Amino acid sequence: MTALIDGRPNAVGDGKTAAPRTRRRGTVRDRFPGLALPALIWYAVFMIGPVVAMFVIAFLSWPGMLTTPTPAGLDNFARVFADETFWTATLNSAIQIVVGLPIMIGLAFLLAFYVVQKPRGHRVLRYLLFIPALISAPATAMVFYAMLNPDGLVNGFLRPLGLEGNEWLADPTTALGAIIAVELWSGIGYSAVLIASRLDGVETEIVQAARLDGANDWRLAWRMYWPIARDFIGVVAMLQFLSMLFNSAQTVLLLTQGGPENATTTLAYLIYRKAFVETDLGYSQAVGVVLFVIGLLGMWAIRRTLRATH
Amino acid sequence: MAQRAAVARRLPLRDRIGSITSGTLAWIYAALLVIPFYYFIVSSFKTNEEIFESPLSLPTTFDFSNFTTAIQQADLGLAVANSALTTVAALVLTLLLALPASFALARARGRAGKIVESVFALGFLIPSFAALFPTFLLAAALGLFHTRTFVIFLLPATALPLSIVILTSFMRTIPRELEEAASMDGASSLQVLRQVYLPICVPGIATVLLLNFLSFWNAYLYPLILIGPDTAQRTIQVALPTLKVDAGTDYGVLMAGTLFTLLPVYLVYTVLQRQMQRALLSGAVKG
Repeated sequence: MTALIDGRPNAVGDGKTAAPRTRRRGTVRDRFPGLALPALIWYAVFMIGPVVAMFVIAFLSWPGMLTTPTPAGLDNFARVFADETFWTATLNSAIQIVVGLPIMIGLAFLLAFYVVQKPRGHRVLRYLLFIPALISAPATAMVFYAMLNPDGLVNGFLRPLGLEGNEWLADPTTALGAIIAVELWSGIGYSAVLIASRLDGVETEIVQAARLDGANDWRLAWRMYWPIARDFIGVVAMLQFLSMLFNSAQTVLLLTQGGPENATTTLAYLIYRKAFVETDLGYSQAVGVVLFVIGLLGMWAIRRTLRATH
Repeated sequence: MAQRAAVARRLPLRDRIGSITSGTLAWIYAALLVIPFYYFIVSSFKTNEEIFESPLSLPTTFDFSNFTTAIQQADLGLAVANSALTTVAALVLTLLLALPASFALARARGRAGKIVESVFALGFLIPSFAALFPTFLLAAALGLFHTRTFVIFLLPATALPLSIVILTSFMRTIPRELEEAASMDGASSLQVLRQVYLPICVPGIATVLLLNFLSFWNAYLYPLILIGPDTAQRTIQVALPTLKVDAGTDYGVLMAGTLFTLLPVYLVYTVLQRQMQRALLSGAVKG
């Protein structure tokens, strides 16, 4: 767009001889930004290459690292779709996202709304909200491991209240919930500061006017701030969606290894387990392709739901 | 600001339910952020028995033996050195690749530049996690399996899309006249980049460095799979979980190890709080 506007006229100033030279250099530059080549090649080799390879391996029969892969057509996908574990993992991923994502985004929005009103202590709050974004997955997992173990902090809180403690990570009914809780703990803060950065841009005059018209906070939050920030919240939701879909496998690996009884085996963790524990490589990468498609569909769905309305 | 607070205070209770709800939620969440921190910091000075009996009490003595045990048991000193080496080398490599690329893309006027830029802009769509196994094959094919070197090569690739998007938008703000004046004086492209663009882009470079410092230092799965368990090579994030043992974890030692892992990040966050927050914000906004 800007190229059309600021065009070439600058070259004219330095006389007839310079003009054609500048133009020739200009066209070479137009053809290809050569200095971008090293980065592009690097990116193609280390990032795009493996993804392309994933699509190839998904159509190979490759039952172990030391065997020679043979073409398998759609066999891997047939095996995947006939496998009960795959459907358990799909259900777990679905629960994780359908339950986790709306809670995360909803709470993050309310938090952001509160912070931008600049209440007492908002600086402290902003400082704290960044904390989870700084901590690595292993460190977060280790802290939660210590809190959720039978003798840990959570049970230490519950017992004096007369409540029964639990082995949160070893109980099939609570393990997935515990994983989602870890995701929420680390995701809400960062989403909130991101959304707050957008809400900060809302002009105070509009807010003041709405207040004088008698709008209460609840209406202000959901009828004014939400629509204004809607498309941006969509972007944040997409980021967190991808992170839940893929990166949460790290938390699963660190805390439960998919157990007990596949209760925390998500699709991303299944890819990891099939590749590096069971070395059923065709299967693993076929799930990778499925997850890639789910990722695209999910982003499309989020975009549709949280599209800008104005 | 004060005016707005005054307006809020005048409202009847019914109309403040929104604020009260979100305020309560905010401070509950803040407590949920702080309590784990407090818990693991005090735990790192306690024994298992003390942790189990009174999880929230202050330690009776400030005994650093958990730290020395953690450092010895998981070779954390060496792991920190490995992490530092990997992070710094990967950061340098990222800048060496991203700076010229952003410079070229910011100046490009043709369609090719647009295409290259959108390739990087769509980078966040790449499910690098799903493609972990092919990445592992690539390491083996290059003869770099179980080495830090491969991770040093790989991490910049993961960071390129965001780094290039951020740096390009910074370089776009530099007026073309500046560059044209320099080229007329006979400066080459790289000289223009070094002498005209770099000094102006310092804030952008700082953002990119901080953002990537966090993601490189905190990287877990790549180092786990590609460097492996070799204590001479493994990074701090891979070393830390080895303190968790299936039968009888010493939680004091585990928490001491965790604290040790977080120190460098907190040091940087405390010193460069504003810059770090800005970096984290632009990290998602641009992506």
